[in-house]
Amino acid sequence: MANIQMQQLKKNFGDIPVIKGIDLDIKDREFICFLGPSGCGKSTLLRLMAGLEEISSGEFLIDNKRMNDVPASLRGISMVFQSYALYPHLTVRQNLAFGLKIQKLPSDEINNRIREVARTLQLSELLDRKPKILSGGQRQRVAIGRAIVRRPKVFLLDEPLSNLDATLRVSMRVELARLHEELQATIVYVTHDQVEAMTLATRVVVMKDGAIQQFASPLELLHRPANIFVAEFIGTPKINLFKVEVQECGPQSITVTHALFSNPITVSIAKEIKFAAGTKLTLGIRPHRLSTKQSLDCTISAKVTIVERLGTESLLYTDLGLETLVICSAAGTVPIIRGDQITLGFSSANCLLFDDHDQAIERCLPADVQLLIS
Amino acid sequence: MLRNRYTPYAFLSPYIIIFSVFWLVPILFSFAMSFMNTRSRTWQFDFFLNWGRLLEDELLWQALKNTFLIIALQVPAMLMLAVFAAVLLNSKDLNFKGLHRFAIFAPIVVAEAAYAVIFRLLFNDNFGFVNNMLALINIDAIAWTNSSSGATALIAIGLTWRWTGYNAIIILAGLQNIPKDLYEASELEGTSPWQQFTKITLPLLKPAILLCLVLSTFGTLQLFTEPTLLTEGGPGGSTTTVAMYMYSQGFKSFNFGYGSAIAYLIVFLGLTLSLLQFKLFGGKPDE
Repeated sequence: MANIQMQQLKKNFGDIPVIKGIDLDIKDREFICFLGPSGCGKSTLLRLMAGLEEISSGEFLIDNKRMNDVPASLRGISMVFQSYALYPHLTVRQNLAFGLKIQKLPSDEINNRIREVARTLQLSELLDRKPKILSGGQRQRVAIGRAIVRRPKVFLLDEPLSNLDATLRVSMRVELARLHEELQATIVYVTHDQVEAMTLATRVVVMKDGAIQQFASPLELLHRPANIFVAEFIGTPKINLFKVEVQECGPQSITVTHALFSNPITVSIAKEIKFAAGTKLTLGIRPHRLSTKQSLDCTISAKVTIVERLGTESLLYTDLGLETLVICSAAGTVPIIRGDQITLGFSSANCLLFDDHDQAIERCLPADVQLLIS
Repeated sequence: MLRNRYTPYAFLSPYIIIFSVFWLVPILFSFAMSFMNTRSRTWQFDFFLNWGRLLEDELLWQALKNTFLIIALQVPAMLMLAVFAAVLLNSKDLNFKGLHRFAIFAPIVVAEAAYAVIFRLLFNDNFGFVNNMLALINIDAIAWTNSSSGATALIAIGLTWRWTGYNAIIILAGLQNIPKDLYEASELEGTSPWQQFTKITLPLLKPAILLCLVLSTFGTLQLFTEPTLLTEGGPGGSTTTVAMYMYSQGFKSFNFGYGSAIAYLIVFLGLTLSLLQFKLFGGKPDE
């Protein structure tokens, strides 16, 4: 339906830069998620795309046409708001028809489109009701219907599931994925919920302080984060980080040490990079890559401070006596209790390394991961 | 347990006592008075004397006609102005919003007698500022106080000046309750600012406008101060309102019974009009 390009897109509110030069190339029919903490500028970027905010500088193109000065209604964009923004005085049918009537479409055409959308979103029974008496999920579906019925080139969704309860959120997530398949539309979706981003998106834009930290597929973000911010933001529970010291730096690997590690650990790297011995780096290891089995490349001894039983998995919080609180994801039935002294093992293949500027050192991925990402 | 049951009433008692003595008793007593002949040496019940007179008192009907004319002229115009003012006050492009809001609300805090004096000077038939201004643009002087249409217009202008801001603030509160998202959603759907006003703002302002309509209608039914101070009910009784007529019957002619009957007539008319307005324009927009 539509390609989207942004070139050095900037937005200032007064003297405060909120969007700091975004370059982005979104392909036709992609499902893109803007992911980041509150205040990172993701909603502002979406509003710039919609034409609800004026672009301070840079270029915004849809299908290679410059859209900076095109009015919101002529950009071929529909938006679903976090609050749904349904007109409370109109019925579902009138809400769906509102934009079409403004466009002065013939009433037959309007009725056909409403019927079609109502069938797709299971709204047929609700057409004569007003939004007030609909449930959160139903309102959400009406809001999506109102976006679909206009047949736009691009759909923008601003945290559309954040007002729903957990169960409904999961079912609406599935419904959105199905809709994307069905509509074959370009969708840009703002969320701060990484599960939504990871499950829905073809690619995710991770943002912080108005700038893109990484633009990649969900699995690439997880396995090849561009920097410590992305590594920490993606993945639940949060990645464990250790300040390590370079012992030896070879053309294809870096060996690092840490006072708590049983032995130095050698991490394979994809590109040669030189670090002097003694350089401080950061080593990251995801909780589910820490194992209570000891027969791995390296081990750490730790005392369990908290055990969180989540059913299928148990999260073991351990205090290493330093600044680090290590989390290990173990089996749901692991017979470990608070106060136990345990040994956590990990493999070098699962270690991420970050330089002293917090940027990732490109590593050789394990074969199974490589296969998934490619 | 016993103490708990009576404690709320103990706290409420000062209000209940004051309300009963100064409100409830007079309300009930005046209702009873409306069925009495209060011109006789000892007041006597005469069920139809006052209520019957209501139907055949031409002066009363004239006063009612005057009052409804002022309502018909002033209330719709004032509400339109109030909506317009509220929309302007709510505009994101307006600077010094606090100052403007105070300015539009200020007439309500000016003493009625003070503004009446100013209005009488401004609208003086011979040397008033308004007629001087009209002369500048070649419009004949208007007999603001010496013609019935001029006097009615003067009262309507005075009322509008005084109450537009008050109603605008109520409507402004309604406007501020309309989520910004609705306007953004409609902007994406291609609505013009005028369409946004007619298709979103006005329907969602309906409860606030209805409240203002009912309050203004009820208020104007009881209109007393402006005609008393600006036109003294003249010329020739053409701006004597029903409230003025009630006052003259009750406190000038000391016909308390008939005055009470007129007071209750005002109440019944107000209630009927309010119910009619609720029936015609009521119902929350989202129901």
